Amino acid sequence: MALLKVENVFKRFGGLVAVNDVSLTVEENQIIGIIGPNGAGKTTLFNCIAGAFPPSEGKIVFEGSEIGGKKPHQICTLGLSRTFQVVKPFASKTVLYNVTVGAFAKTNRRVEAEAKAIKVLEFLQMDDKRDVFAKNLTLPERKRLELARALATEPTMLLLDEVMAGLRFSEIEVMIELLKKIRAAGVTLVIVEHIMQAIMALSDHIYVLNFGGLIAQGSPAEIAQNQEVIKAYLGDDYVTVED
Amino acid sequence: MKALADSKANKYFLAAVLLIAVLIPQVITSPSIMQILILTLFYAYLTSSWNLVGGFAGVLPLGHSAFIGIGAYTSTILYLHYGLSPWFGMLAGGVLAAVIGVIIGIPTLKLRGAYFALATMAFGEGLRVLVENVDTIGPLKVNGPRGLLINLTGNSFIDYQFTSKASYYYIILALLLIILLITWLLMRSKIGYYLSAGGEDPEAAAALGINVPRYKVMAMAISCFFTALAGTFYAQMFLYFYPKSILGLDMSFEIAFIALIGGRGTILGPVLGALLLRPLNEFTRIYLGGILPGMHLVIFGLILILVMIFQPRGIQEPLTRLYRRILYRIKGS
Repeated sequence: MALLKVENVFKRFGGLVAVNDVSLTVEENQIIGIIGPNGAGKTTLFNCIAGAFPPSEGKIVFEGSEIGGKKPHQICTLGLSRTFQVVKPFASKTVLYNVTVGAFAKTNRRVEAEAKAIKVLEFLQMDDKRDVFAKNLTLPERKRLELARALATEPTMLLLDEVMAGLRFSEIEVMIELLKKIRAAGVTLVIVEHIMQAIMALSDHIYVLNFGGLIAQGSPAEIAQNQEVIKAYLGDDYVTVED
Repeated sequence: MKALADSKANKYFLAAVLLIAVLIPQVITSPSIMQILILTLFYAYLTSSWNLVGGFAGVLPLGHSAFIGIGAYTSTILYLHYGLSPWFGMLAGGVLAAVIGVIIGIPTLKLRGAYFALATMAFGEGLRVLVENVDTIGPLKVNGPRGLLINLTGNSFIDYQFTSKASYYYIILALLLIILLITWLLMRSKIGYYLSAGGEDPEAAAALGINVPRYKVMAMAISCFFTALAGTFYAQMFLYFYPKSILGLDMSFEIAFIALIGGRGTILGPVLGALLLRPLNEFTRIYLGGILPGMHLVIFGLILILVMIFQPRGIQEPLTRLYRRILYRIKGS
């Protein structure tokens, strides 16, 4: 059984169709990539899945139960966690405090939550930063904190919204290794990303969105060859005619 | 804050402060100074109760006087009509205030920033106007703008009346210690973490599995309960109160002033704020009240502006730093 099934989901804002009849399937322990030009509806689709707002139409099924229209905190408790494209740290608190908040999802005891948070920080190689205030972190560190916090809730599936945007080449390499480690730990990942280097290296399967609708899907190699995708990204001129 | 209970020196310091606080009534005989001290503790207690919502949940309630009033009226009406001990009335008032706080909180705590502040202010003022215009609720006498008078019984514990100021001093000191302990425990618990997170970024908090409105309403209930206890204390100390004296905006604002100047969302902030502002308030009223009435509010405003410019997180921050530095010196030598 698929871990997450999105079936014919629409999201309309007034007359604008931000997500148009999208269906996708995520199997356990896969890494799924979602790509598409700016404004393609990737983040809106994420928001529908994570509960920030309900889909206008369609079904979203996680671990066999319908989650479309549920609140974000309920969805997180079910084991589906997310990060935000624009990072949202609890700025006046320390790194450890931030991650401990996430860890409280699975326990009521502070000592346990803190121990769990420290473990996650060690796993992401940022335990040396545990007493730093979140507002003093650099952007790559904030992105990693975002990841740590979400991981601390012990999700079965993580939705990552552009965790690499704004990172330097070497930092991207580090992040790719981290994501691989997270998958190896048994977490299923769905990532929205613009950095092709990363998405190609990580994904088992890629979905391509444009103007709210799915225009292609397949393995990274297939997507790289797909004429529709090339058209969406680069324009008609770059499509190779193969008659 | 964490260091407060951890190190040995802190424990000694805390014990010393506590000892002084307990011994003060044995040393000071002047009733007017005792009165100032009692009111200082009274406001430190009120602001600490307010702090559970105003400090940790990230909103600015400006109508907490409503809950002081609910406490005072509940215990006093129960005492005057049914002869129930104000000690019982105090708890009844607390429970009633918590229930009303939840009812008010469910719709208003979804509002952000100034809108929540305005909504609570409207509730506080609305309740005052209502009480001023009502003489009786069913068989119960409220007395409208004339307020309620509690008959003097002399020294009687069951009637919550004492002839010595020291007794009131110890009651409010005990209440203050209880609320500080509860704040300290809350801050270190899941509820405290969830409240701070929800106050700082509700969207991020929700994504981490936090039902933000539910935790805010919970904080509101606890805060309102303890605020109402102060209402009964006020009623029993003065034995007379009227809507303007406890339901007005003045008290709500003064609580917010103390919290902002002392340091919102910290344990010590409300206490330090009250220690600074209450005596100042009293002395400006005594020495300037005749010449320039309302001068104390101007001074409050000035202090608030200065603190917000130079210490936006309240005077607790530089004071804890100073304390640490002194501690370090002593240890170093």
